[in-house]
Amino acid sequence: MFAVFGVAILVLLGVLVGTAAGIIVVRVGRRVRGKRRAALAAGPRRALLAFVAENGEEGSEDLIAIPDDAWRAALPAALGLLGKLRGDAHSALVSVFLHRGAARAALADLHARSAVRRARAAQLLGDLELREAVPQICELLTDRDHEVRVVAVRALGRIGDAKAAWRMIASLDLRDPVPSLLATQALVQMGRGAEVTLSAALDHPQARVRAVCLDALGLLGATGAVSRMARVLADDDILDVRVAAATNLGRLGARGALQPLIDSLDPPHPDALRAAAARALGDLGAPAAVPPLAAHLDDGEFQIAHEAAHSLRRLGPPGIAALKERDNDHCREALALLQPDLVGAQ
Amino acid sequence: MREVVLGVLRGADYAVFGYFVALNSSYLIMIVLASVEFAKHLRRAAFAGADDMFRSPVTLPVTVIVPAYNEGAGIVAAVQAMTALRYPRFEIVVVDDGSSDDTFEKLREHFDLVEVPRVVPAEVPYQSHVLSVHVPRGEKGALTVVRKTNGGKADALNVGINLARHPLVCMVDADSVLDPDALLSVAKPFGDDPLRVAACGGVVRIANGCKVVAGRVVDVRMPRSWLVRVQVVEYLRAFLMSRTGWSRLGGVVVISGAFGVFRRDLLVQIGGMAHDTIGEDAELVVRLHHYLRDRGDDYRVIFVAEPVSWSEAPSTWKVLGSQRRRWHRGIAEILTKHRHMVFNPRYGRIGLVALPYYLIFELLAPFVELAALILLPLGLWADAIDLAFAWRFALVAYGYGLLVSLVALFIEEVSFHRYPRWSDMMRGVVAAVIENFGYRQVLAAWQVWGAVAAWHGRPAVWGTMHRTGFDTHEPTEVETVGIKGG
Repeated sequence: MFAVFGVAILVLLGVLVGTAAGIIVVRVGRRVRGKRRAALAAGPRRALLAFVAENGEEGSEDLIAIPDDAWRAALPAALGLLGKLRGDAHSALVSVFLHRGAARAALADLHARSAVRRARAAQLLGDLELREAVPQICELLTDRDHEVRVVAVRALGRIGDAKAAWRMIASLDLRDPVPSLLATQALVQMGRGAEVTLSAALDHPQARVRAVCLDALGLLGATGAVSRMARVLADDDILDVRVAAATNLGRLGARGALQPLIDSLDPPHPDALRAAAARALGDLGAPAAVPPLAAHLDDGEFQIAHEAAHSLRRLGPPGIAALKERDNDHCREALALLQPDLVGAQ
Repeated sequence: MREVVLGVLRGADYAVFGYFVALNSSYLIMIVLASVEFAKHLRRAAFAGADDMFRSPVTLPVTVIVPAYNEGAGIVAAVQAMTALRYPRFEIVVVDDGSSDDTFEKLREHFDLVEVPRVVPAEVPYQSHVLSVHVPRGEKGALTVVRKTNGGKADALNVGINLARHPLVCMVDADSVLDPDALLSVAKPFGDDPLRVAACGGVVRIANGCKVVAGRVVDVRMPRSWLVRVQVVEYLRAFLMSRTGWSRLGGVVVISGAFGVFRRDLLVQIGGMAHDTIGEDAELVVRLHHYLRDRGDDYRVIFVAEPVSWSEAPSTWKVLGSQRRRWHRGIAEILTKHRHMVFNPRYGRIGLVALPYYLIFELLAPFVELAALILLPLGLWADAIDLAFAWRFALVAYGYGLLVSLVALFIEEVSFHRYPRWSDMMRGVVAAVIENFGYRQVLAAWQVWGAVAAWHGRPAVWGTMHRTGFDTHEPTEVETVGIKGG
């Protein structure tokens, strides 16, 4: 047995020396590569900065003419700019990328075997805001790799084409769905064009879909969907969905949301929903919410009384008057935040 | 009779030999797993979407809880640095746990704090008394400072959890320095996989020797003291590599109290931090696993390797001893408290792999290390083993250990290369060698002491921490609080 260990120990010593040498080789290699890349990227980086300084009006030919190896060295900087620029400068830089054949290569890479290449391609197409790529990126919403799906969602949001809304919603109804928060953000980025689809999806059998659509509608300010959202608030089987409905009705600030939210304040509705309704009534900004909120200042549930007090504070003079009529910890806390010293510290 | 004794001695020596082979192999496996994870992380950095997350209105807001006890020396700089973190929406709750120094006064003076009447819910239990709540005058509510009577770190964290207004809670030590994107990185998994991610830990590295400007580590250097240099290598191997490896295996059971993010609703459901253990951070994670497994949830507890939180490591043997006794005591307490989870298939990989590993290769390791120091010379003296066995044993226990440390340094060099100076890397290699001569053995003695103290139920004491700070070399003595029970 120990003969075997003798060999093992020799191997061990070899690996020890090899590892130490490896550290040196890696470090030297990185420095050499870094210097070479920096030298290659120096010219293109200057050209990129000049291009951006001119708002993309001049210098695109210089960027298109950069040799491939130098462009590859400057690519991280170019991609960084692509993600940050807006307006004409962005369009001009996109045009440079298109002329260099980046879109064509990325479209091909969407079908690559490597998940990293697929994700990079989707990311680039999203940064290029290439609408022609939407159908193919939509296919990645069901990709076998979770991270590719995540990148596809973000890319579709960046492109902002409402035609992708339904595919995005459908991708929430999978066994391993795309992340809800990212989907919400992407749907919001698709803008008002997605409202009809989102509103229709409030009847979707999957609770996650309904919750995402409620959030997106709320962030979009889709006042036309108030009655549908109110119906979800009243009738949905899932508590989290009803809470989302209450929150987003408050966010919309529409008159039609008032009564459904007031109706949700009292038992037998679950406490989480009652607290969300109390908070939403404060967001709504309707003075008519003062009496029902004031009636909950002494609620036995901490969160409901707390939310009611702070909502009354946000409702201005009528709400403040209601707070002054009561004397409990929640009212004192809410009133204290009205002192000039503390305005903003909320 | 002599033959029987020799046989037992020989058997024990062979068992210890086998144990060290298994122990170092397990480290190596973790490092290999970590390297796979690092490669994945680095290849995907380009499309990780941190900027999108920063800009998104639906990014989950975070409450950063900073428990502080006699942190007057650095609390203002720490809070200033935290307010400058890159994250779309977050608040900081500093819980002054009955400091006897000027921690609160410094905060009040610098941030112009005014007292507010604030109702503190008792969603998670706390044993102390909240004295007052303060916010900066006329500014946006990004900072809240709570004063309370002394109750220990776990109690301070529970008060912070109660006051947290956001769905994610990040626990950070008051002496930690976070990388600017640290919060984005540890909160990102919650956005990417919100239905399953329950907690996410970040890596903690050693800040001693580093140059810190305006609450940011701007120049990473090896510490001046060899004692701390050895700890740098140890942190790389045991924390960065090992926890990343466990994350890959789905078996993270330790998230450092110095830097971790949790879903607040889950913290409330499991009752927050436990008051009856000194390793409250690891205990919290084990209890979270317990709760979520019992509920049959599909969940993940993960660990991200970059960016990082920087912490000051003990620079004296006395403080190091106190820290390691405390850590090992914590492991002993957790494994005792949750012993029904160990080897229990009901708890999946946690019960069958992670906790047994912590029992065999973490809790028992110092006992075996010390046993080897006795058994090996005894075996040689009694002729139970020969010299050939002894040097092979030394190579397996220490040579293999050195290999593991060097591989960890190699992986660090390939993936993150945080130590750019040649001299620092060389010091790291030397530290990996000298760790085996004295450091390991002394550490083992302290660890055994800590575990025995836990089993005997002696009162837990955090000891005394001498903080040198990051910018000054003048020591500031900070007495840390003792925790009741144990």
